[in-house]
Amino acid sequence: MAARLNPLTAMTAAAAVLAITTAASSWAVSLTVAVGAVLLSAAAGIVRRVLLAAATIVVPFWLSLLVIHGLFFPEGRTVLASWGPARVTAEGLTFALEMGLRTAAFVLVLMVFSFSVRIPELVAALVARRVPPQVGYVLASTLLLAPLVAARLGTVRQAQESRGLVVGRGIGSRVAAIRLQMVPLVLGLVHDAGIRAQSLDARGFRSTGPRTSYTEVHDSAAQATFRVFAILLALTAVGWRIVESLPAGSLSAFSQFVGGPG
Amino acid sequence: MSQQSLTLPPTDRKAVRRRRLLELLGAVAIAATFIFLVLTQPADIAGGLGSVSSLVALGGFLLGALLLIVGVLPTLPTSTVVLIPVALVLNIVLGQLMGTSGLPFYLDSIGTVLIAVLAGPAAGAATGALSSIVWSFFNPTVLPFAAGAALIGFLAGVAARYGLFRRFYLAPVAGFATGIIAGVVSAPIAAFVFGGTSGAGTGAIVSAFRAMGDTLLAAITKQALISDPMDKAIVFAIAAMLVYALPRRTTFQFPFVRRFRVLAGKEPAARNS
Repeated sequence: MAARLNPLTAMTAAAAVLAITTAASSWAVSLTVAVGAVLLSAAAGIVRRVLLAAATIVVPFWLSLLVIHGLFFPEGRTVLASWGPARVTAEGLTFALEMGLRTAAFVLVLMVFSFSVRIPELVAALVARRVPPQVGYVLASTLLLAPLVAARLGTVRQAQESRGLVVGRGIGSRVAAIRLQMVPLVLGLVHDAGIRAQSLDARGFRSTGPRTSYTEVHDSAAQATFRVFAILLALTAVGWRIVESLPAGSLSAFSQFVGGPG
Repeated sequence: MSQQSLTLPPTDRKAVRRRRLLELLGAVAIAATFIFLVLTQPADIAGGLGSVSSLVALGGFLLGALLLIVGVLPTLPTSTVVLIPVALVLNIVLGQLMGTSGLPFYLDSIGTVLIAVLAGPAAGAATGALSSIVWSFFNPTVLPFAAGAALIGFLAGVAARYGLFRRFYLAPVAGFATGIIAGVVSAPIAAFVFGGTSGAGTGAIVSAFRAMGDTLLAAITKQALISDPMDKAIVFAIAAMLVYALPRRTTFQFPFVRRFRVLAGKEPAARNS
């Protein structure tokens, strides 16, 4: 399902949902969005990965929120329990819960997007939209490079250990060990980057003409309409929230200012 | 690495001016967002989630970061563009490591500072913003901090431009100052978008200030003023150590390093002269 969507459509949808969730700022909406994201990932068959990755981020986050707002919330009035300076207030717990739900929705929606999107398609779609090709290169290259760098770090460590690197208990020894591994790693990576730059330049990386791509990105009129619709919907939600938050007086003052006196 | 591009560089005046405009707009968006947040915050946080503040923080900072990226990236030489992914991977790998350690440090900008020292403030800003965006594919909560990361890269580049990386003891001082500014700018994001937390270690410090009755933004700003300057001082020191370890043949291939004499020492003699 997600594979046939244009990556830009998925990105617009994710951004619109996030804008609307933030604008609505109610736990019910956040919960609905979070559940919806989980259902969507289940439909796409990536629910395990999404939940696992999201949990490693959201659970510590939620605990930290509970510590901050559950125990200390000076604005709170309804005190449920207190030990010394710590006061558990209903307002604090509500705030932590709402914040946590909103963040969970935020993380889940973006995770569903990033786990379902195909990076080559995203890059091709961005280039077709006249985004500078460097952006696509950096995006794709980083995601490809990450496992390579991890493997290289392993190689460097093995090489240094075979030369007699032993990590001792003391902090000095640890820092020295980190230095012995990081310097060769960075040196090698910078050197490689130089070689890569030459071959990229030789293949017209910086030329600013039309480009052809092997990757064909699926798009349709319906998706284009959907994107426009999603953006409009998000803008409406944001605009509504801003207008609503203005004090009543300032709005009439603004309209008077715009309309002129009388 | 330093050789001229083999294809002719684009000499389109209009495109150059348009990119300058994008950079400027990006910087203005970030600055305006911050000023708006600081001016409006007291009324907003008491009224619940501070929805308008979160919208403005998210929208303004992200827009600024995106404009910076689109404006800066096409102007960079390929040798720098190719280094950016390396820097991002370094940021992410080391940042993930620190995020799990529970210490109130992030150390997630070593790669950004490295690029800034080698290639200048604009490249540093673009790298910082890109770092947050690419990292958000693994951890979406870093996405809203893109503007703060861009600021760190920019300030590191400025420090390098004025020779603060020529001596090892000056680099942490520059990092300390950068941390103060970056911490203050990033605090509204932590406050309004995430309710005041960006990790277990920093959370404990925030709650300590909250216990003394501070508002959320004040508590987070104070926490940032404790964590960030130390963190950036360490990051700048590590970046300086890495740059010093690079062979001079490599560092002097970057025009920024040559032009502003970023590192102490003479340029190596040209090989073919």
